[in-house]
Amino acid sequence: MKAVCWMGTHKIETQTVPDPELVNPHDAIIKITKTAICGSDLHLYDGFIPTMESGDIMGHEFMGIVEEVGKDVTNLKRGDRVVVPFTIACGNCLFCKKKLWAACDNTNPNAHLMEAAYGYSGSGLFGYSHMMGGYAGGQAQYARVPFANVGPLKIESDLPDEKVLFLSDIFPTGYQAAENAQILPGDTVAVWGCGPVGQFAIASAFMLGAGRVIAIDRLPERLALARSLGAVTVDYSENDTDVLTALKDLTGGIGPDSCIDAVGLEGHSTELQGVYDKIKTAVMLETDRPVVLRQAIQAIRKGGTVSVPGVYGGLLDKVPFGAAFGKGITMKMGQTNMHSYMKPLLERIEQNQIDPSYIISHRITLDQAPDMYKVWRDKKENVTKIVIDPWA
Amino acid sequence: MSALNEKPNAETLPASSGGAILQDGHYLAPPEDADGKVWVRTTALVQGTPQDLYALWRQVEKAPLWQEHVEEVVVTGVNTSTWTMKYGEKVHTSNSQILADEPGKRIAWSSVDTDPHEAGEVIFEPATGDRGTFVILLMEFRRGKLAAAWESLLGRSPKQRVIEDLRHFKAFAETGEIPHSQTAPHGDRGLIGGMKRSLYGENVPTPAGAVAR
Ligand SMILES: [Zn+2]
Ligand SMILES: [Zn+2]
Repeated sequence: MKAVCWMGTHKIETQTVPDPELVNPHDAIIKITKTAICGSDLHLYDGFIPTMESGDIMGHEFMGIVEEVGKDVTNLKRGDRVVVPFTIACGNCLFCKKKLWAACDNTNPNAHLMEAAYGYSGSGLFGYSHMMGGYAGGQAQYARVPFANVGPLKIESDLPDEKVLFLSDIFPTGYQAAENAQILPGDTVAVWGCGPVGQFAIASAFMLGAGRVIAIDRLPERLALARSLGAVTVDYSENDTDVLTALKDLTGGIGPDSCIDAVGLEGHSTELQGVYDKIKTAVMLETDRPVVLRQAIQAIRKGGTVSVPGVYGGLLDKVPFGAAFGKGITMKMGQTNMHSYMKPLLERIEQNQIDPSYIISHRITLDQAPDMYKVWRDKKENVTKIVIDPWA
Repeated sequence: MSALNEKPNAETLPASSGGAILQDGHYLAPPEDADGKVWVRTTALVQGTPQDLYALWRQVEKAPLWQEHVEEVVVTGVNTSTWTMKYGEKVHTSNSQILADEPGKRIAWSSVDTDPHEAGEVIFEPATGDRGTFVILLMEFRRGKLAAAWESLLGRSPKQRVIEDLRHFKAFAETGEIPHSQTAPHGDRGLIGGMKRSLYGENVPTPAGAVAR
């Protein structure tokens, strides 16, 4: 089959690779009909996430048709149409029972690598380094999906792929970000980053009762999308625009009730990247650039909530913990507990409350993917979201 | 913890040992390596009753499904079995005897007349609040040539092997299978691919757990 492979930092190639095969009794093989490039794929592209290996297949947002199932898969059969969550969960461990699906104990074959870096391992992820499981990703024509009884969401209606594809990651991720923001009716919510996750965080904040959403970015096309959802926007790249001043001005001087950092470790700044030697040598982790996180902690009102859906990988330097303590804030963060959100959000799509396809700007083939990674990283061509048809 | 007074080994254990983690409410650190002996203690919270998990562990003939490098286990008596281990091309056979067997609570065993000497104890303890069972595994090795070979050839220390074995036991008990990504399709690995696989421990074959078809 054809697949998009990571061949090193800033090196992506479309190659011909072997087809995946059933390995475990709860596996399914999915023929992928649509897949996407995620903002967090850029962390792999830019080499921020350790334990990538040349040849690894990229991609963790995908959907398709069930091709084949293992002997213990009971709720799916060949021909079923499914969206696959990017986190893999077993359904039976303590964390799955608590619905902390992204914390599943049993799906990362390389859990020891995560334990070395983080103390404990989260669930395995598709196409997101060996530390996160070493599973092949979905920017390919087929994928092996473990624990298919638990993860994939069946699409029974004839909704087009593009309306449901983002249930595989960014829509639930944006929704969980808004839920983690502990929004009360009428609250003001500030969202840093109007990329796909930011967009869905904005939409979800309104769904959860926010009175005002302030969207912060520098790209006109993204800011326009945010305004189309009803957000007010702040363009931090404009001369004289200071985000903290803007947020005070827009909140009567008290600051937003909730701040959502939908940017993560690649926040733009001119600061040099530090390296924490010990961890770097142990697991090749580099420190992140917590520019947005610093700003969010400063901007949040006293007693407010900072929600972090943006991906951070390693060790953060100079996080204003004194401010966090002094204001008595709450912080909530983490990988998305996908399995809890997919079905309810599908219902919102079916009821026409939201059409997630509004963020798509580019529709491409697998062969075009390597070039599009660069476009996506550099935010050229007014790109807002790239969807791949693996069979085009 | 009174059940732990019995020693799992022919050798004298450190004063605090047995696999116990608590003694009279006080936390006991794991035994330290000394005199050529390597100690490993690892624990897992496993969903399931102590009785069921004990029963799964006690079926030693199933060990190849979840223990690394175990090719075959032949039961030779009520408390004895013969283990065939495979490390790359090398095949190694050893006999094992169960020294203590308390259904639903504890198993202790030791190898018989083999190099490297290996002994172990597993304890099944109900966790608080219906959260499952604490499975506590204590292993002791004498580092023979084989132990050294594991480390150099396979990128996995004997200590890590014990940790992985318990992790695999947990996955096997909770889901009926063991997570697996070693056969994932991929593009060209290039020159340093093999080195990385060794670094990640991906050269060690994942126990089968169960078959897909
Ligand atoms: Zn993603
Ligand atoms: Zn689980």
